[in-house]
Amino acid sequence: MQPELEAFLYEAEERYLSQEEIQDFQAHIDRFKQRLATYENLREGEIAIFQPVADRLSEKFPTEKDDILEQALKHWLAVMRYSAMAMLLNNPEFLQRRLLEWLTPSIQAHQLETVEKKLYELLQKQLKELLPEEQLALMQPFLEQAKTNLLANALSGVGGQG
Amino acid sequence: MISVADLVKDSKLPGNYFAPDAYVQGDYELGLMENRKGSRLLALPDTLLQAIYAGLEAEIGQAGGVVLFNCGRWWGKNFYRRFNEEVNEYYGKPLTQMEMVEFLECLKQCWKTHGWGVLDLDFNYYQQGFLVAQVKNSPFAATAPEGKKPVCFAEAGILSAFFSQLTGKDLHCIQTACESMGAECNYFVMGVSDRLKAAEAWLEEGQDHSTIMERLSHKT
Repeated sequence: MQPELEAFLYEAEERYLSQEEIQDFQAHIDRFKQRLATYENLREGEIAIFQPVADRLSEKFPTEKDDILEQALKHWLAVMRYSAMAMLLNNPEFLQRRLLEWLTPSIQAHQLETVEKKLYELLQKQLKELLPEEQLALMQPFLEQAKTNLLANALSGVGGQG
Repeated sequence: MISVADLVKDSKLPGNYFAPDAYVQGDYELGLMENRKGSRLLALPDTLLQAIYAGLEAEIGQAGGVVLFNCGRWWGKNFYRRFNEEVNEYYGKPLTQMEMVEFLECLKQCWKTHGWGVLDLDFNYYQQGFLVAQVKNSPFAATAPEGKKPVCFAEAGILSAFFSQLTGKDLHCIQTACESMGAECNYFVMGVSDRLKAAEAWLEEGQDHSTIMERLSHKT
């Protein structure tokens, strides 16, 4: 459950919520609606988001085997799905525990960082085109979290900040 | 050309099956814990572990280690079967067809989520026929009485049974460093029984993990 919502439940245990708290609650529900709309948008647009990314990725790495690129794409399809759920729950730990902790060693072992770093850039570009600004803002912290965890080596490897 | 529609055709993109919040479930009011498949989990209180060590010591003295090792073997055998079943069901492939890195990550996460500490495997001695496991924050060491010898026999038994079944070879396991003796982590060495015999003697002499590994890898 969303942590803010849980806080309201605790507050409401022995008294009515104050007017101010009810306004907060309302604001929370509004934000939640927006999160849900973002989630739906991402779910409906999964292929529309990723197909152009896949096409451009193939162009950028013409000599790379398809199954390598497919593996990288599958990783980020999963990142998007888990990030979307983490965004809906407003819970970065969900993403960390359910996916990132488990996926990071695999990416490093397969030396996919270079491909996936490019994939991340392409994905960001694509999301900027397809998502309204406020929806992108909701997703951004989770994508950053994924990038920091999964691509740490690639980022330090090129000596830049990505 | 890569088709994303084909990539998501199966609709399932698995993540960490053993994530603690997903894996450990239960009704705390009733005192029941189960895993995400509905199998019962057993919580071992520190007091119980301490009592097992103390009870075995009082009843059978040094032979306690053998008893715990055999308990671990039995435990490890069932653990392997359940681990295999669960992983197979969730990821859609048996352990033997899993990539090494994927398998290792599953085992590490599983180990951690069960509260057995942080496991890592070292394959540097693979060519010489040995596999080294490292466990940090082991509850079996934390509850053990301080002594002059490693005491995590149950863990050694689990590892020996698990990797014996995985590799299809009868592997023995000895512990060469123990947190209960002030070491930074527990070290376990797995290999065929005959080749580990020498290590047991060196352990008796009080040699440390790195010396034992050094000697094992130079012994033909």
